[in-house]
Amino acid sequence: MTTANREIREIVRDEHIMRNRILRLLEGRPSTIPEIAEGLGAPPSEVTYWVMGMRKYGYVREEKEVTDEGYYRYQAIEREIG
Amino acid sequence: MKDDALNRVKYDALVIGSGISGMESALKLGDMGYKVLVVEKEASVGGKMILLSKVFPTLDCASCISTPKMGATIHHPNLTVLTYAEVETIERQDGGFRARIKQKPRFVVETACTGCRQCEMVCKVAVPDEFNADLVSRRAAHIAFPQAVPKKAVIERQGTSRCTFNCPAGIKAHGYVALVRSGEYEKAFQLVADATPLVGSLGRACYAPCESECSRGNLEGPLSIRRLKRFVADMHYAKPRVAPETPPANGMKVAVVGSGPAGLTAAWHLARKGYEVKIFEAAPQPGGMMRLALPPYRLPIEVVEQDIANVTDIGVTIQTNSRIEDLEALKAQGFSAVLVAIGTHLGAKLRVPGEDLQGIVRATEFLRAAKLGERLEVAGKRVVVIGGGNVAIDAARTAMRLHAGSVEVLSLESLKEMPAHPWEIAEAKAEGVTFRHSCGVRDFEGDERVRSINLLRCISVLDEKGRFNPKYSDKRAGTVEGDLVVVAAGMRPDSGEFGLPINPSGTFQVDKGTLQTCIPDVFAAGDAVAGPTMITSAAGEGRRAAFMIDRWLHGQAMDVEEFERRLEMVDKEAVLARQSTYRELPAGAPREAVKLAPGEFYPDEETMTEVEALDAAARCLDCGVCSECNSCVDICPAHAIDLKMQEQEIEAEVGTVLLATGYTLFPADLKPQYGYGKFKNVITGMQMDRLLAPTRPYNAVVRPGDGKVPDSIAFILCTGSRDETLGNPMCSRICCMYSIKHNQLIMGALPLADVTVYYMDVRTPSKGYNEFYEQAKGMGANFVKGRVASISEKDNGNLLLRYEDIENGTVTETEHDMVVLAVGVRPNDEAARLFPGNDLRLDEFGWVGESNEDVNPGATNISGVFVAGAASGVKDIPDSILHAGGAAAQAAAYLERHGRPATDAAALAEKLAAEPANGGAPAASTTETGPASATGSSTAKAAGVAR
Ligand SMILES: Cc1cc2nc3c(=O)[nH]c(=O)nc-3n(C[C@H](O)[C@H](O)[C@H](O)COP(=O)(O)OP(=O)(O)OC[C@H]3O[C@@H](n4cnc5c(N)ncnc54)[C@H](O)[C@@H]3O)c2cc1C
Ligand code: SF4
Ligand code: SF4
Ligand code: SF4
Repeated sequence: MTTANREIREIVRDEHIMRNRILRLLEGRPSTIPEIAEGLGAPPSEVTYWVMGMRKYGYVREEKEVTDEGYYRYQAIEREIG
Repeated sequence: MKDDALNRVKYDALVIGSGISGMESALKLGDMGYKVLVVEKEASVGGKMILLSKVFPTLDCASCISTPKMGATIHHPNLTVLTYAEVETIERQDGGFRARIKQKPRFVVETACTGCRQCEMVCKVAVPDEFNADLVSRRAAHIAFPQAVPKKAVIERQGTSRCTFNCPAGIKAHGYVALVRSGEYEKAFQLVADATPLVGSLGRACYAPCESECSRGNLEGPLSIRRLKRFVADMHYAKPRVAPETPPANGMKVAVVGSGPAGLTAAWHLARKGYEVKIFEAAPQPGGMMRLALPPYRLPIEVVEQDIANVTDIGVTIQTNSRIEDLEALKAQGFSAVLVAIGTHLGAKLRVPGEDLQGIVRATEFLRAAKLGERLEVAGKRVVVIGGGNVAIDAARTAMRLHAGSVEVLSLESLKEMPAHPWEIAEAKAEGVTFRHSCGVRDFEGDERVRSINLLRCISVLDEKGRFNPKYSDKRAGTVEGDLVVVAAGMRPDSGEFGLPINPSGTFQVDKGTLQTCIPDVFAAGDAVAGPTMITSAAGEGRRAAFMIDRWLHGQAMDVEEFERRLEMVDKEAVLARQSTYRELPAGAPREAVKLAPGEFYPDEETMTEVEALDAAARCLDCGVCSECNSCVDICPAHAIDLKMQEQEIEAEVGTVLLATGYTLFPADLKPQYGYGKFKNVITGMQMDRLLAPTRPYNAVVRPGDGKVPDSIAFILCTGSRDETLGNPMCSRICCMYSIKHNQLIMGALPLADVTVYYMDVRTPSKGYNEFYEQAKGMGANFVKGRVASISEKDNGNLLLRYEDIENGTVTETEHDMVVLAVGVRPNDEAARLFPGNDLRLDEFGWVGESNEDVNPGATNISGVFVAGAASGVKDIPDSILHAGGAAAQAAAYLERHGRPATDAAALAEKLAAEPANGGAPAASTTETGPASATGSSTAKAAGVAR
């Protein structure tokens, strides 16, 4: 895990720019936060902010089951409003 | 705010803060028949309690027991609640108190907002969500939390973003940057087009005053705001043109004279309002200076044509080769108003001997001929350009491209003083242009044609008042040989024939705010009024002219204030102070000096790629927070959003004041040995409460560091409490109990997880608390008496706790997935600041002091001011409610003893309702309830305000 410490304000500011990149990664492949982090080359702690923000605003939802390692997978969902 | 705009109201009691204590005091007083004004600084009532998961020791759901009280507070007929408002000062007055209150603008009309959240869903600005203890983002447009009361959106605006504020055209620069960041390029284009149709031209040739003010300029360099505009323009124009919807005609015709940025922008706005607009243009091609002067390597003709097509596509007609000088004749053609926007197309003369020799031309004529493709005998010639501004540089670089043998620029100014942009000078130099500074022309020599120029040394350009008034030394400063001389020494409008009053510089005299001339239906705008400026300024004045002409023709007041109304520019230092560290994000490649071969007319910079554009937009600091991108305005089904709403001042006369301002939490980063803020899986007790709440920020209790469901969670009690080193010797009373609550809830939510609590003491002082503690132990929570000395982080995000095991006397290290710091509480110092001169006495720890806690709880040192709940010292929920009830009784007794002011609770609702700036709250509904007020005044429910 990287501990590159960016301030929260700066991390969440990137949510809009990361959103389409994350949605592209999730196309047909629900993923855990570490998997998304690897795909983006970004720290998982930052990805948590982006994914949870996207979840809050209706872009992703979690799958029911947790992986053996203890992670939820997140999948893209169609949003009604753009 | 002006005094006459002040809303003056009278209440029996003012309650500050609407947490559980404030609500309790207010409700009790209301039930007794007193008129109470409640002021809450957040956008919802409810305080901290509504954000909790469950309450100890009953494990009742915090929302389920808070929301009825929140609803009752808002709907109580004797209570008026102002949310998103702040008390600024309280002073004693005639036995009572006078409070000044600031109602912050929500930018959402409360009575119209239905709480649908669509604005949030489309908002382009993400910031940390303080209501979720910063575990997730929220939007600039937001409803504080799902159970907010009132459930109304608020838009966070801290001012006008600096780029937007400094755009003369009125383009919401921050807005389009934010739209690009979200990948919404077409919307970004349309947002620019809302201000001016010249999206492509400004994207290429704007001098970008926005960038000079960009806050990021204080870090690695400003955002490339202009190039982002070019990017969205190129994206838009690359698509097939779609016929725009033409607005329904309003039956009126307006004539515009001149098709430069001012004329085109005015025509665009007027046509969008339904006017039939015709532009008359003297030149053979439309576009003004953009078409006739700006060299194509900076602004290609196709781009200007695309922008002009925006205007003609919505029905504006342009008649070229039509020089207008007779305004009466235009009016006779049925035009209800005329806008004169003829620019500055006459080159200023130097007034020196020999100026009429052949081979001496004005820069405007030279550039125009080059742009219109006329034959210019430049090849191989020695070209001399006279002037130090950007026009001179454009002429020099154009001559270079027309194969001049040599090009020299003579300027009055030294290199440092030259008005031309430094990068333009650098580019010209890189192309081979040479410069001679601090010299003026004495005379030109030659027979029929110019042969040489005799120079004088210029010692100063401006006089003491900063006006252009060059001074020369007597000595000659040499002679320059030249075959072609281009004079770029200023420009003025060809304004003589219009019969309108003009200034000595030839510009038209108009009312600066409305742009109306002395003939009421004739307006003038752009450089013809201001003198030579830039495209964006001329466009902005064209927009102003359209606004005013529309008002004038509809018989409405030409309201300059309304046209110009906006929030103040956000302060750069304040923006930068929001973060203490910044990741370095270098600005796009610095402008490279381009080396075009002579004769090559291609653009001197490339359009950004999509990746470059996104990276550039990602550097934006969201200065004003809301970007004014208008996405929320466009989607709101209730049309509730008004980004021009204003702050209001309220002055309340009250008989008594109750301070219910609560407490603040200990900032966990003050214990650096625990790594809060550094180690992602170290969180605070409040964050754990959010993770466990039904409205939690995540889908489950998972680690913020990587989303893993934790197997082993440690709690560290007394973080920041009973700690002399931090100046807080007091026990915070609630942290043991909330941690035990967390233990029980976690063991319910994650049955397989291990829970370990590191403690020095567990304090369980009230009814049922000890049983609750025993129950947690019985469920499997492991209580370790030990002092944690430090925490370190492993590569997998797990945490190593080093602690002294008091029972075994050993120093031990254990590993956990996640650590919860049971942070203590601190006094909220806001209450004391309300009383000028520090009249309010605080106790030795900084809490609001009670004059005699033992026998007179709630009473402060100021007679008539009471403290309710945790503002007087940390209390859990039941104790807070009890204390707040007591404070209400004290306040009631005080009012009975000292008499009640003549209340006029209805007035506030009525006043705010009459003021559309606050969102046009409807007239107050009046309900009589409870015991008749002592003064017999009517009771009121401030509907629309008190929600
Ligand atoms: C060489 C040069 C380079 C520049 N570069 C830049 C730049 O890079 N960025 C920037 O922001 N600004 C630049 N400017 C300034 C910018 O072009 C002007 O500020 C802007 O064009 C002014 O707009 P306007 O509509 O007021 O006038 P104009 O653009 O001059 O438009 C007026 C129009 O009215 C027409 N007209 C005049 N008289 C009549 C009449 N009697 N009847 C009918 N039509 C008439 C004219 O032919 C013209 O088409 C530059 C100017 C010059 C000269
Ligand atoms: S979209 Fe409009 S009605 Fe809906 S919450 Fe936002 S402001 Fe209120
Ligand atoms: S204008 Fe844009 S940034 Fe501002 S609140 Fe609305 S959607 Fe958000
Ligand atoms: S940081 Fe963003 S909002 Fe601020 S001035 Fe620069 S571009 Fe505008």
